[in-house]
Amino acid sequence: MTSIRIVGLQKKFGDLAALSDINLDIKEGEFFTLLGPSGCGKTTLLRTIAGFYRQDGGDIYLGDELVNTVPAYRRNTGMVFQNYAVFPHMTVYENVAYGLKVRKLPRKEIDERVKAALKNVHLTGYEDRTPDKLSGGQQQRVGLARAMAIEPRVLLFDEPLSNLDAKLRVEMRDEIRTVQKKLGITAVYVTHDQEEALVISDRIAVVNLGKIQQVGEPWEIYKNPRNLFVATFVGKINTMEVALKEDLGSGLRRATAGQLSLVVPSAGTEGRTEATLAFRPEDIKEVGPDKNGQAKDEDGNSFSGLVESVSFLGSTASITAKVQGTGIVFDRHCPKEDDIPAADAQIQISVPYESCLLFDKQSGARLGSGGLR
Amino acid sequence: MTIRYRKPDIWALVTLIGFAVVIIFLIYPLFDVFKYSFMDKTTGAFSLSNWKEFFSRAYYMRAFGHSMYVAIMTTIFSMLLGIPLAFFTSRYKIHGTNLLNTLSVLALLSPTFIGAYSWITMLGKQGFLRLFFASIGINLPEIYGPFGIILSDSLQYYPFISLMLAGALNTIDRSLEEASENLGSRSFGTFFRVTLPLVMPSLTGGALIVFMMSLSNFGTPMVIGGNYLVLSTLAYNMYTSEIAETPGMASTVSIVLMFCASIVIILQNWVSSRRKYSSMLVNRPIQKRLTKGKSFWAHFICYAIVALSTLPLLVIVVYSFRNTNGPVFVDGFGLESYRQIFFDVPKTVINSFTYSLVAVALIAVVGTLLGFVIARKKSFAVKILDQLLAIPYIVPGTVLGIGFIVAFNRKPLYLAGTAVIIIMAYFIRRLPYSVRSASSILKQIDPALEEAGINLGSPPGRTFRTVTLPLMRSGIVSGAIMSWVTSMNELSASILLYVGKTMTMPIKIYLSVADGYFGTASAMSTILLIVTGVSMFIMNKYFNRGSETFIS
Repeated sequence: MTSIRIVGLQKKFGDLAALSDINLDIKEGEFFTLLGPSGCGKTTLLRTIAGFYRQDGGDIYLGDELVNTVPAYRRNTGMVFQNYAVFPHMTVYENVAYGLKVRKLPRKEIDERVKAALKNVHLTGYEDRTPDKLSGGQQQRVGLARAMAIEPRVLLFDEPLSNLDAKLRVEMRDEIRTVQKKLGITAVYVTHDQEEALVISDRIAVVNLGKIQQVGEPWEIYKNPRNLFVATFVGKINTMEVALKEDLGSGLRRATAGQLSLVVPSAGTEGRTEATLAFRPEDIKEVGPDKNGQAKDEDGNSFSGLVESVSFLGSTASITAKVQGTGIVFDRHCPKEDDIPAADAQIQISVPYESCLLFDKQSGARLGSGGLR
Repeated sequence: MTIRYRKPDIWALVTLIGFAVVIIFLIYPLFDVFKYSFMDKTTGAFSLSNWKEFFSRAYYMRAFGHSMYVAIMTTIFSMLLGIPLAFFTSRYKIHGTNLLNTLSVLALLSPTFIGAYSWITMLGKQGFLRLFFASIGINLPEIYGPFGIILSDSLQYYPFISLMLAGALNTIDRSLEEASENLGSRSFGTFFRVTLPLVMPSLTGGALIVFMMSLSNFGTPMVIGGNYLVLSTLAYNMYTSEIAETPGMASTVSIVLMFCASIVIILQNWVSSRRKYSSMLVNRPIQKRLTKGKSFWAHFICYAIVALSTLPLLVIVVYSFRNTNGPVFVDGFGLESYRQIFFDVPKTVINSFTYSLVAVALIAVVGTLLGFVIARKKSFAVKILDQLLAIPYIVPGTVLGIGFIVAFNRKPLYLAGTAVIIIMAYFIRRLPYSVRSASSILKQIDPALEEAGINLGSPPGRTFRTVTLPLMRSGIVSGAIMSWVTSMNELSASILLYVGKTMTMPIKIYLSVADGYFGTASAMSTILLIVTGVSMFIMNKYFNRGSETFIS
């Protein structure tokens, strides 16, 4: 069990700053995910921890040891690769034993550890197979067993599931999480899949443009994003640019986007006339019509609109509606066929003001902080 | 804190060795060739006199014209042989396609002068076919001169066309042709509008290689050309006549030859760089079954082409078992010619094997290491090295031979008359092929495999040994076998570099033919053919390499 501490890390490729001023404290036994779009620097960070890249500045500590100048092969990190990187000229057994032979362990111990590692990934009985006889999922299990067998200080995952099909991905993701918790090894996991990140992680660092955007537990990242990038990258969200109008008292303020007029929290908006407003589809409530056929106005944020398009997702339907000139996406639970609306159907929705997030229009920084619901 | 430190690693050393090899055994001798072509023979001062002589005297210009004529005609005839063979074997069910491919590759890889020499035994002044046809009143044309060169070159080099074209035809996704038919084109129209444009780059690529090979070929025009001089034989003749002075004209002719070769290579690179088609092969093309009559003719054409190119080899093998009395063949069969070789000139056989083995070992080791550097390290120096390593592709053996003999005939590297100079000629001529094949295999090996090794605690050197090298093995060995075959059969450079004690089999064959000792020549040629055939067999059998490996 080893913690990882990263202080002021910098990495440049030519003139391009791949990583700038990265600071992270990853706790012992934690499952820590680096989440971001491709090219954001997350893989660079992982590879720098592994020692494949040497940083241009800053320090990396594994436990108490400063590893800046320790070559990759002495760092004792176990990496699981995106394309498996299972040695094609070795059997499953030889693959898993590779790192142990390098460490010159006695043969009996190698045998025990290989068997234990293969058991952990449910590959007992596959010892003599060659990788070309294995499916993608099985190859990745070999990759995982091989990385665990050396009993590394940390496990590093470089998008290990992105080459697997959807069903297997879910299965493997749960398995990785289970094995990691069982062994209690610190894990750093790189992915661009926000759903995967939310499910698997103890904590997530959202990375973009070589910088850490936010570090937090999955819930926090999703519900309390620190900037517009995090809000839009993790989960679906409606965004619109709004003009900020009069203060309504009791921590509320009016905001308008074209004809649409909403009530939003006023925290952090003092002295501002504009902002970017965001709210998640699942936070939008459908409200029944009043006697005029209009949306029952419960809190000043209720609107009527027309359905533009519907995507049926199984248990829910994602509905895009035109509400006073603005497109808004919301979810509807659909147990029956009748629940799926047709195009141009009338709907009445309410956007609870407590689910409204406001961001600086230029920088994307969150206005008013935390304390959601 | 900022960390910037760099340990000079093993790969920097390899790069350095690469540069040393290229500079000493390529740049330095070729520079000498350039120098002498611009040097006045009597005064030694800078002068264009050699160039003036080349362009003003019909003797030189004629050789240039001969070279072009022979190369163009060879290319045309190779296409006439190669295109039908490729088309029939890839599109129709032809029995024994593997046999056809193997035999045509054997003809391709056999020493060039053997085919030429064999045609002399068939159609030369006393050739048995010629005598036979004369006895029934048909006088065949004179085989010596351009006709003989074009005949034996075409029958040797057409597999470049047939194999490259068949490769392209076999990798056209069937759905492309189906799409064309679905869009309303008849199969005839489909062939001209879809199939042909798709394989055109391979066809022109193959044709340019044939042109290049024919242009720089030395053995064939030397054996069968008679007085018909082409650039390569002219350069050789100039060199032997200038032996007491500076090789000014030999150098000048060499540069003209190299210039022509480099234009062809540039064209070829341009053609192959536009070859970006055959990437998505989802549906393999199917081989149609032909009706009985059509099938017979398709088989007949394919087998006739291959038989014609195998015939010279067969004649040689048969002749090697004929009894001889001195230079003349007498009735009956026996092992007399082989006895002569092993008792009279065993040194020649031993030389050929030793030199080739040493060269191949060097090529395999240096080629693999340089291949690794070029595939994996992206420094400026490595890029330059990669470019420099392309030079041997445009240097005909004769030119390299002349460069070697002038550059290593003096201090600081006095190598003339040694085995080393021949081995190094083999080495440098074949090295680029080995480097290229090693680097192309490496490009297919995921770097993540090496990273996995390092990540599991294995230092870079050990990772290379335990992960990279085993994955490259089949490529390295098949590359080594190709180098082995070409070194065993090398004539054009070594004929300029040998002395009595460093004679090799190809040189001995050439000299025996020149002296009329056809028995010895046949027996030695048969040995070379067996070596070539066995090497091919091993490659096919143990490394699962198809015929196309032999032409890359």
